[in-house]
Amino acid sequence: MDINYQFLEQTFYLVLAAVPTTLNLTVTSLLLSLPLAFFMALVRLRRTRYVSGFVGAYITLLRGTPIVLQILLIYSLLPSLLHALVGTLGWTINVFDWNPILYAYLVFTLNTTALLAEVFRSALGSIERGQMEAALCAGLTKVQAYVHILIPQALVTALPNICNVTVNLIKGTSLAFLMTVKDMTAVAKVAASYGYNYIEAYLDVFAGYIIICSIVQVLFVFAESHVGRFRLIKQK
Amino acid sequence: MRPFAPEFILAVIPDLLPYLGVTMAVALGSIVAGSLFGTLLAWAKLSASTLLRRLAVAYTYAIRCTPPIVLLFIVFYGLPKFFLEVFNVNINSYDKIFFVVVSFTLLFAAPVSEVMRSAYQSIDRGQYEAAVSSGLSPWQAFYHIVLPQAAVIGLPNFGNSVLSLLKEGSLAYTVGLVDLIGRGQMIIAHHYGAYAIETYLALALFYLLLTLGVEKSFLQLERRYSRQKHNGEEAGYGY
Repeated sequence: MDINYQFLEQTFYLVLAAVPTTLNLTVTSLLLSLPLAFFMALVRLRRTRYVSGFVGAYITLLRGTPIVLQILLIYSLLPSLLHALVGTLGWTINVFDWNPILYAYLVFTLNTTALLAEVFRSALGSIERGQMEAALCAGLTKVQAYVHILIPQALVTALPNICNVTVNLIKGTSLAFLMTVKDMTAVAKVAASYGYNYIEAYLDVFAGYIIICSIVQVLFVFAESHVGRFRLIKQK
Repeated sequence: MRPFAPEFILAVIPDLLPYLGVTMAVALGSIVAGSLFGTLLAWAKLSASTLLRRLAVAYTYAIRCTPPIVLLFIVFYGLPKFFLEVFNVNINSYDKIFFVVVSFTLLFAAPVSEVMRSAYQSIDRGQYEAAVSSGLSPWQAFYHIVLPQAAVIGLPNFGNSVLSLLKEGSLAYTVGLVDLIGRGQMIIAHHYGAYAIETYLALALFYLLLTLGVEKSFLQLERRYSRQKHNGEEAGYGY
């Protein structure tokens, strides 16, 4: 098969130069969704009236539809909606000048929050009630009990799933090009379109994602061995 | 800004409905072919040959790290070139659905092979040995004793893989296949970009019903077959 090796190499550097965008999308969305997902998990576990049903519907909706559709929907709805809003408020900001990465942050945060909420819910739910009660009896406040007792234990079971969600998020950011964000996939697509070198370009992207995902998975292995010491030792 | 027209969501459904078949065909084709390839991969992972094991594990790893859209593009642009130069067969004129199904078959096989491998390994080796020593052939022992138990254990994870596939299948429109989303994009184009939100909401409704339906069916299957699950602990075989 004749592959344009020169193009393959050149584009690889182009793709590497777009790695920061992919990582930026991933890390920002993850950091934004971690606290949101945690509170959603708490709401679900406590069965807070009305709010729990609302959060449940949100999770079902986000998990039940493809992320492409969420991107298409938000990207066709939000800019014009914001523009209309700004117009009625009489401000003179041009919404269409905003960096499209803002919409990408929003979509990936909304999506990841739904996935992480389920992860946190099952991890926190797997911890015995007695742990919380014992912590409160020992004089800790609720917040302290969560920070020092419950969350470290929940992380033991949650980390492999958080790793999965993160890897899926990294892969999902490949769709950011639909919102004209210049991530790895978008850069390769543009480079390929000049001379129809699509295979070479996408092989570069393929390599790029394997490298990023491998590094992330290694980091999670370290994290797992770190939190492994919080594992509850079952007494027979 | 044009006011939101909720009645268009309902109006567009009959126009989208015929294309549900295309989406389902992609999903079903990929599930069937992907399960076969996945079985092969699982067999390779459990085989005695180190080379086969490593190849299968490397394949699964690579797919796990590849965004579906990148794989779809590689297959869509690469497969015709590959066939032309290796087999001297021109498949450029093949229908787009062919490339889409090939991509999702490759994609689906990886997680499914893991589901199968872990389900198979969760069955105690003694089951197989007991079956063989009571006179069943190795194939019979696998088919009648190990497989039914492994299938029940693998069912929930298989269901999850099917759900992911269903959602990832929505990317097929990016190579120009006219499935549900492809048709939706056409409808939007016909209206010069108007009614985009309403059309996407209708599509979201389709996918929501589809994924909820699949999820419920798998739960139902689980409930029906979990009776057969052999549970040593409950039966008091002492672990």
